Amino acid sequence: MNCRELQTALTPYLDGELIAEARLDVEAHLAACAACAKRVEVERHNLSLVRALWQGGSPRAPQALRSRVFDAVRADDARRRRQRWVKVSAAAAGLTLVVAVGNHQYRAFQRRLFEQDAALRHARQFPLEIRDPKTTDLEQWFGGKLDHPVTVPRFPNATAAGARLLQVRDKPAAYIRFDAPRPMGLFVYGDDHEVDVGTEPAVSNSNGYNVVSWRNGDLVYQLVTDLDEQDIRELLPPSHPVAHPADQGTPTLDVRPASLQR
Amino acid sequence: MLGFKRGGHDRAEFEALIAPWLDGLYASALRLTRNERNAEDLVQDTVMRAWRFFDRFERGTNFRAWLFKILTNTFINSYRRTSREKSLQDESERQSVEAQFFSPDTTDQATNPEEYLLERVLREDVLKAIDGLPIDFRMVVILADLQEFSYKEIAEVLDIPVGTVMSRLFRGRRALQKALLSAEQASPAAEPIDLNAFRERKKLG
Repeated sequence: MNCRELQTALTPYLDGELIAEARLDVEAHLAACAACAKRVEVERHNLSLVRALWQGGSPRAPQALRSRVFDAVRADDARRRRQRWVKVSAAAAGLTLVVAVGNHQYRAFQRRLFEQDAALRHARQFPLEIRDPKTTDLEQWFGGKLDHPVTVPRFPNATAAGARLLQVRDKPAAYIRFDAPRPMGLFVYGDDHEVDVGTEPAVSNSNGYNVVSWRNGDLVYQLVTDLDEQDIRELLPPSHPVAHPADQGTPTLDVRPASLQR
Repeated sequence: MLGFKRGGHDRAEFEALIAPWLDGLYASALRLTRNERNAEDLVQDTVMRAWRFFDRFERGTNFRAWLFKILTNTFINSYRRTSREKSLQDESERQSVEAQFFSPDTTDQATNPEEYLLERVLREDVLKAIDGLPIDFRMVVILADLQEFSYKEIAEVLDIPVGTVMSRLFRGRRALQKALLSAEQASPAAEPIDLNAFRERKKLG
């Protein structure tokens, strides 16, 4: 190593940044060259002095600054948490809506399946097990044959042609057929609110039939008929209008046990 | 619990990590901005940025270097633009830094034979001389001689090659000594400081 090379190595040498080999080279040169040794000494002295003066008595961060900085971090942290919470709640609300809509769609779909099944079974014209009964006899005849008591609504202008046991999908049902004024079939089955039918009679169309559905507690009634809505209205007492599914109407059909009606 | 692998945004962890370095950040910010008010603003901005990006800090790596990188970047991006800092980048670093560093025409050395700084130099003189350094040199000198970062750390903080760190440090210190020597000549009488006492403190620390 010569004096010029030492000059370039001086800074990293003083900072202890030289690898061992290079450091030994420098030290070998310094041992042999008094001028460079002197220069290194001066540099080392000056560097120490500057560092000592600078670092000694360096001001500390003011307490007010510390508080301000940590307050700002705290506030930002709180804001982040609120935002995260808002995001989570928004996601939860979105999910709830999806579930609600999905559930609503699913229930409407299920109800359609029951309406369709009732319409199809009525159309099959299964043989009746009991013919020309009185309404009260019907309730007696069904007694014990099903898990639920059967109450048969009385339609003022219609007479029952007969009855039998049938099913609507998986539910054992009482089936009562009327021939006059037009053929109609009435299904009565127990349902623990699995089928989306309300207490208000509602008409929908299924397989060419109109299906009027309503509920009385755990009993679901489905009346399958080829009468149009106007005729259904006439069939039923005029004070009991038939509601569309979306309508809010007054109770329409008198579904008390026949023995309690009029 | 939530499966953060690298980072996370734990305020308690952040506060514990940053608290020991606030003094160092402030002392460095003072020499960068040369003004207490701006230094406080710079520190606050730096801490907030560090907090916002805390989830990107790779745990187990050099937090202090990461912090000072944010400090210098924040300074360069906001403060330097407004203050009338002049960059050396354009002037003296147009050519290769290495070429300058190893240039045979070492005018600095030729015109400034080494001289002992007298021990009665005042702290104010040192600060004034540092504040007079061009910003690129000043940043390196702050990191090396105030914060005692290694060359490798400084290279990482400033995103420059180690060779550039070395060259700026060499030239920065030289300019500093030059300024101090001329200050000494201008005001010959002052309080001496006890360098040996400082050396003892360093050894013990």
